Amino acid sequence: MERKYTILAFLMIVLALGLVILPRENEQKEISPKVLLSAITEKSRYLTVDQVTHRIIENDPTLLLIDLRTADQFKTFALPGSHNITTDSLLNQANLELFSQPGKDKVLYANSDLTSEKAWLLCTRFSLSRIYIMKGGMNEWFNTIVKEKAITGTPSSTDLDLLSFRKAARQFFIGSGETVNAPVKTTVNEKINFIRKEPKAASGGGC
Amino acid sequence: MIGSIISSGIISPSWDNLFAVILGMGFGFALESSGFSSARKIVGTFFGYDFVVVKVFFTAAIVASIGLLYFSYLGLVDFSTLYIQPTFMASAIIGGIIMGVGFAMGGFCPGTSLCATAIGRIDGLVFFGGMFIGVFIFSESFPLLESMYYSGSQGAKMINTVLGISPELFTFLLVFAAVGIFMGASWLEKKVKKVNY
Repeated sequence: MERKYTILAFLMIVLALGLVILPRENEQKEISPKVLLSAITEKSRYLTVDQVTHRIIENDPTLLLIDLRTADQFKTFALPGSHNITTDSLLNQANLELFSQPGKDKVLYANSDLTSEKAWLLCTRFSLSRIYIMKGGMNEWFNTIVKEKAITGTPSSTDLDLLSFRKAARQFFIGSGETVNAPVKTTVNEKINFIRKEPKAASGGGC
Repeated sequence: MIGSIISSGIISPSWDNLFAVILGMGFGFALESSGFSSARKIVGTFFGYDFVVVKVFFTAAIVASIGLLYFSYLGLVDFSTLYIQPTFMASAIIGGIIMGVGFAMGGFCPGTSLCATAIGRIDGLVFFGGMFIGVFIFSESFPLLESMYYSGSQGAKMINTVLGISPELFTFLLVFAAVGIFMGASWLEKKVKKVNY
């Protein structure tokens, strides 16, 4: 190699070596109470069941669903692609690796918001980022998507679009041919056959 | 601490196309100034008389890796907001073979064919046209290929995670490998008969 390239190659090796030997602070340190308080009051930490459902149907590769319910409840009924983690093992090494995945929105859900809020607080205090809660949990998801949630008053075009989306989502998840107005006879313990698809890749680059 | 400006909400995603054009122009300029609009220069990698493709792309990879890790160490970049392309193993292997064959036969990859077309090279224009025919055939036959396209999904997978080493150590090893390849390529270029183009 020419002399100038040899110098550049040596420089790259020194810089790379610097990365290896530089002292590393503990990356998983607890965030300050002020930052935590600010994060708690942030409404954007909640995702609605419609938003989560839309991302499931779209096979959003950035979505990582965390089911915080018991293993029995998870086996009976769970959102497609969910990982079952109970709160007592939330921050063990294997789960920390899952939560630390870059480029993923980690969405927590349980039956209601109580468990999800506790888990969100633990994760956020542990400096984990992009942690969200599915507002209302599985109860809300079931009542909104599987059952028909009536809209009071005269529905706007946005409401009608939402109803139409929920009808399509219901058919996606339970394969039902029922109309919007037909009563839903589903129960929580009913076995549901999910239609699982591989996540779609976002458009990528290349030379 | 900053993240990528679009995913962190500083700039609306509706500006995506503008950024794509600006970054594309920069990328095209870098390709053209590296001589990548010449098919004979590019296929030199396959015939052993010119390894500029290997050198440029390895240099880009190690400079970007070292830069990102230093920025992360100094608290200037938030890794968690970066988008990692998901791995689809089967389609990556099949697509890689098709692209490699096309690369060796045509002397261009999609980006470099656009560079060659932009400076008025006829071979680049033909490759560019062929690429669109290929895109059309792929799009029309997508229902047949869909299961293969989405098979082998492994999510956002990083090589250092698979190897069980830190990103810093992996980058260090990558730099060593790159320097070794640069030296090997330079040695090979001297051994192979010089081609004038």
